[in-house]
Amino acid sequence: MNLSELIIQAVGSVFQWQNLAALVAGTIYGIIIGVLPGLGPSAGMALALPLVLKWPPATALIFMGSLYKCSNYGGSITAILVNTPGDSSNAATILDGYPMCEKGKGGVALALSATAAMVGGTIGMFCLVLSAPLLAELALKFGPAEYFLTALLALSIIAAVVQGATLKGLVAAALGLMLSTVGFDVITGHLRYTFGWAPIEDGIPLIQALVGLFAVTQALVLAESGESISQVCKLAGGFWEGVTRYFKHPYTVIRSAAIGLIVGILPAVGQSSAGLLAWAEAKRESKHPETFGRGDPEGVIASETSTNACMPGDLVCTIALGIPGSVGAAIFLGVMIIFGVVPGPLVFNEKADIIYSLFIALILTSFVLFLVGMTFARHFAAVTLLPNEIIVPLILVVSLLGSFAIRNLMADVIISLVFGILGYIMLKGGFTPVPLLLGLVLGEMVESNYHRALMIGGGSYSIFFSSTVSKILIFFIILSFTGPYWGPVWKRLIQQIQHMKGGRKNV
Amino acid sequence: MMKERLTLIEFWFKLILLALFGLLFLLSTSYPLKAKQFPQLIALFGLMTVVISLVVDFIRKAPLAQEITDVGDTELKTLGKEAKGMRWRRFYHAWAIILVSTAAGFLGGFLFTTFFLFISFSLFFGERKNLFKNTLVTVSLTIIVYFTFQWIFKIPLLQGALW
Repeated sequence: MNLSELIIQAVGSVFQWQNLAALVAGTIYGIIIGVLPGLGPSAGMALALPLVLKWPPATALIFMGSLYKCSNYGGSITAILVNTPGDSSNAATILDGYPMCEKGKGGVALALSATAAMVGGTIGMFCLVLSAPLLAELALKFGPAEYFLTALLALSIIAAVVQGATLKGLVAAALGLMLSTVGFDVITGHLRYTFGWAPIEDGIPLIQALVGLFAVTQALVLAESGESISQVCKLAGGFWEGVTRYFKHPYTVIRSAAIGLIVGILPAVGQSSAGLLAWAEAKRESKHPETFGRGDPEGVIASETSTNACMPGDLVCTIALGIPGSVGAAIFLGVMIIFGVVPGPLVFNEKADIIYSLFIALILTSFVLFLVGMTFARHFAAVTLLPNEIIVPLILVVSLLGSFAIRNLMADVIISLVFGILGYIMLKGGFTPVPLLLGLVLGEMVESNYHRALMIGGGSYSIFFSSTVSKILIFFIILSFTGPYWGPVWKRLIQQIQHMKGGRKNV
Repeated sequence: MMKERLTLIEFWFKLILLALFGLLFLLSTSYPLKAKQFPQLIALFGLMTVVISLVVDFIRKAPLAQEITDVGDTELKTLGKEAKGMRWRRFYHAWAIILVSTAAGFLGGFLFTTFFLFISFSLFFGERKNLFKNTLVTVSLTIIVYFTFQWIFKIPLLQGALW
């Protein structure tokens, strides 16, 4: 089947009522999750996962994709109205969004944000549809050794850059890989590390772990903080004024979308960097840079367009290579694997119908998001007024009920709680649970490809260094390990050279 | 300086990990060759990274005394003693509620967990003046959960050790 036929088939699939309903539900749920400060797409996906587990894979992934995409817009609502970003990706929106609201232009700012979500998201998605299959074609030359190395690369990149502490990231990734060995061994069928406890004989259940690491941990953090959210800023200003104003800055839109896409493709740089970079670039190019940070609509346009174009960029490497570009993408990768859609080059042949349905749905989501945002944005902000004593148990009940409902076992609730406390301790200790989750998700793939590669190589480890692709992957793995240390070394080297030059001049 | 380091959650967590990786390595020695190869490799890697990380912590001039307070992992804040104490109290209360609710779920079914979570959080975390409103919310949400999941999705919410 060629690309155009696949796309036509995908359009037909997306317009089935259940997929459309999943898309709209994911959009609304994503906005609500984004609106709640502290709850990002990761916790949102973890919360929703058990509830959609029995859905067909395409429908469930459309829901999750829409949720992932729309939570960023939800975050911009609180950034503009409450001066609190829903997620770190909306940090740049505060700079001009909240001052606009204070000036009585909150409605305009919300409309700018909704339009940016539609335009930035659509540009990003078209680039994803075109570039991901090309990248996947290149990756078709991969064998077990290359798959093993690709998974290691994904782990090392996430470990290295997710929080700026490479060693801690690696420790967390190792813990995740170690936990993935619990249960029956993939090669010999031998039972490992279960200590006679039946619920983990098939391995540590991913969903229960994911729910614990993100949703339960988040509930605990919210419970101990006990903070209530500040008063919502009064909403004023015309929505349509915002839409028309957005299109009066085409150069800023295109430049910001390009920045978002590039930053998104770069592994683990993140949406917050995209927004801030685009905002700084818009300020640099502006004829009135002094108005930035004081309620300039162009600031909102730049940051929101960029962050919304960033998410599809994130997904390019996640879907085509199985290398997540960000924390949210890492969770989405886990979700895809849970639904049997294993990211990587083969996914475009084996699960083409689901992947293209997801792509078309995400393009459509941009427009649904615009409509929903323009109609209900002001009402969504009211969610932030829910008291802590309601939000915390609500998160706990929804997440633990989801864990329980999969096998109707209270043991699964215990597993989620154990991972919840683990995630909490990790956060307190300055670790991030994302590499742990990724290790848990990729563990089986890493181990099976490790054994397969060794079998092909006749037991020799040289198989991991033999092909050009392997060598390139190893180079990138080393680069990701050493990358965080290059910056200071480079800086010191330049300083030394300058110092030496200065010394010579003095002589 | 040393005392300060020993109180860090990070330090104790790393020690626990060190013991865990070591224990898992030892346990795997009894497995067949192909079943133990990968876990041993990972355990060794884990041990190595934890040891390096601990060494780096000790040779570093200033220890990281901050506590990460935001799950968004973007901000590091140093909290005062009083604020820290308050946070820990809230944390212990939250855990006590979760454990009691889970135990109730074991005995009577998950619906009891739902009810206990809502009512306990509104009692211990909510303001006294909102008690009636919160109780009403608790009862309503428990009924919604029961009808949605027990009736529609056929999930056994009232199946516990007692019945």
